[in-house]
Amino acid sequence: MSLSLPRENVPPRRRRSFENSGLTPYLYLLPFMLLFLVFVVYPVGYGFFVSLHRWDLLAETRPFVGLEYYRNLFDFSTPQAQFFWNSMLNTGFFTVVSVPLLVAVSLGLALLLYRPIFGRSFFRAVFFLPGILTVSVMGILWRWMFDNQIGLVNAVRTDLLGMQPLPFLSTEGLAWVPIVVGTLWWTIGFNMTLYLAALGNISQSLYEAAEIDGATAWPKFRFITWPLLGPVTLFVFVTTVLASFQLFGQTLVITNGGPNRTTQSAIQYITEEAFTNNQFASASAMSFMFGLAMLIFTVLQFRIMARDAREGT
Amino acid sequence: MKRIPASGRLALLTLLALGSAGAQSSTPSAYTGPKVQLTFLHGFTGADRPVMERLIQQFNAAHPNIQVRGQAQPWGTTWQQLPSLVASGRAPDVVVINEDQITNFIARGAVSPLTDAEMRAAGIDKSRYYGPLFQTANYEGKSYGVPISSVAYVMFYNKDLMQKSGVTKVPTTRAELLRAAQQCTTDTSGKKAGQAGFNKANLSTWGMSLYNNWVGSRLAYAAILQNGGSLVDKSLNASFNTPQAVEAVQFLVDLVQKHGVARANSTEEAELAAFSQGKVCFFPSGQWYTDRFEQQKMNFGVAFVPRIGSQKDAAWGGSSHLTLPRQRAGYDANKRRASLEFMNWMTAPAQNLTWTEAGSLPVSPVVARDKKFEGRPIAGVFEKLGSIYATSGFPWGGQVLAPFDNAWANAYSGKQGVKAALDAGVSEANKQITQARKSFQ
Repeated sequence: MSLSLPRENVPPRRRRSFENSGLTPYLYLLPFMLLFLVFVVYPVGYGFFVSLHRWDLLAETRPFVGLEYYRNLFDFSTPQAQFFWNSMLNTGFFTVVSVPLLVAVSLGLALLLYRPIFGRSFFRAVFFLPGILTVSVMGILWRWMFDNQIGLVNAVRTDLLGMQPLPFLSTEGLAWVPIVVGTLWWTIGFNMTLYLAALGNISQSLYEAAEIDGATAWPKFRFITWPLLGPVTLFVFVTTVLASFQLFGQTLVITNGGPNRTTQSAIQYITEEAFTNNQFASASAMSFMFGLAMLIFTVLQFRIMARDAREGT
Repeated sequence: MKRIPASGRLALLTLLALGSAGAQSSTPSAYTGPKVQLTFLHGFTGADRPVMERLIQQFNAAHPNIQVRGQAQPWGTTWQQLPSLVASGRAPDVVVINEDQITNFIARGAVSPLTDAEMRAAGIDKSRYYGPLFQTANYEGKSYGVPISSVAYVMFYNKDLMQKSGVTKVPTTRAELLRAAQQCTTDTSGKKAGQAGFNKANLSTWGMSLYNNWVGSRLAYAAILQNGGSLVDKSLNASFNTPQAVEAVQFLVDLVQKHGVARANSTEEAELAAFSQGKVCFFPSGQWYTDRFEQQKMNFGVAFVPRIGSQKDAAWGGSSHLTLPRQRAGYDANKRRASLEFMNWMTAPAQNLTWTEAGSLPVSPVVARDKKFEGRPIAGVFEKLGSIYATSGFPWGGQVLAPFDNAWANAYSGKQGVKAALDAGVSEANKQITQARKSFQ
């Protein structure tokens, strides 16, 4: 009997002290933490280390050069500065043009396809399906559609409308048309689906109440639908901006960055510097500058949009 | 043995073959050491993969003391992995490297040189291969690889349209090319290029394809070489804006702007479609389209790129080379000897003939003379396979070629004059080379 007491008491005490220590949540986090350290923190740290050295795995020495590669990005006599900021501007341009379209058109489609119209599922599928294609398939398709000589778009212009063909793929400025249109076609379904889900969460009683008060379609949208879609609009906006910043495959396949690097995206140029020019340190420095720009932009956007969303609800 | 050219080296090969020839091998084995296993990394991942795997099997069967394990992976993956594999001493025994990457890897010390003695011992005879092709893997007077596969820029011609246009001879000179192209070019009202009232904006058929991508720019490369120019000078700085280069490229641009025999602002796809549909007489491009035109049952021919320049015949070619990566200290010397044996066997005429099934051009004249090619359209360029030059020999391929391709696109589209476009390209390339040089110090 003398032993039975401690036996009964000790285990609960141990359990309590373990629970009290507060370690449990960290133990649950540990597996992910390890993965995070190995696959995120370490590569990022290593990348930064690389960007501070003249880096070639095969070289005998890899001398420390400090911020030389970062300085190059602000010295406009170097091709690096010229092409990097050019590619950043291109990426920014694409984002500014494509994001409002990707948000507005997907919202419009969702509003249309939320109604109980005939063939609703079919139309939803039609807009969603392009999203399952790989970027190379989508790119080749739109490159052909807009080909200067054999493209469908120019065939319509010349044969049906009697206009002159436009060399979309090789004209500065115009080359963005197939890229933006193609991206819109390719990714609109995903945003549309998010909006459809959000529309399903709006209580019909709000609309019924508004109808009793004599509200027409526009006030219902303006004062019920739009504010209640605020959180999902924020989500759609932020993810679309981030996806647009990461523009790569579309320009690579449709125009290969041309003509004259006018559609070259930041990631495409960083890839060129790393794997075509074998300038890994320079490319790492560019990646960090690019990451920094995205980070600043995302934080600003979150602040502005989150406030709007809160005010809206 | 019958395909080995009769010359002094026959005696040497016979000596080497004594007591070592594998029972199933048509070429003698020079490797007599203990059994070794070799790893062989290559990028033949498409329709060429089964052909390569078959060849490896044959090699293994014929060489009981050498077992090669082939590994196919995309080229780009290899270019990214090779530096770390070499740096960590885990490089494969044999790696295939392409012409656009090879000088870079050589200059960075990823590939080890093949000495004359080693090549002799393994039976590798430089003179067996097309000269410029073998030299593609040379750098600073040393050899680093043996060519196994090659592709080339050629000029396809549509026989039906030529006949309809009254062109009886495939052009081989600048003047002939221009004349033939003018005869082939007709506007929608039936007027030919050069006639009064000819409207070059509205063509129904035209003479020659030019286009704006990197493949299109390889014709400019050929023209520059033919005119005695080059992409880089002796100190390996970009130099594709010399007077010879400007003159050669100007002729091509004039085909659009002055003579109206080629379409402006065109793409490779559009020209390919036009050629297939019989709307253009001459379509210069990679020989890799031959199969496609054969399958379409087109009435076409393949010719060497006409002599646009005044100095020599030349066309662009791509190639793949068997190389021996740098290995860690204490690497088994038997493996190196066995690897050289493998390189020799794989590029020997019998095997190279098999390899041409995968779409490659022959790497040696003796293979090009094989009966198999008689009557095939591609044989039209075989006589001049020795005049094919890769964009190689400088460690900064990307830094030179990207600006060159861009300069061509700008000149061809008329965005810039030829001289201005080439000058801008050279200036950009040389700035990039300045930075790249620091990596090689």
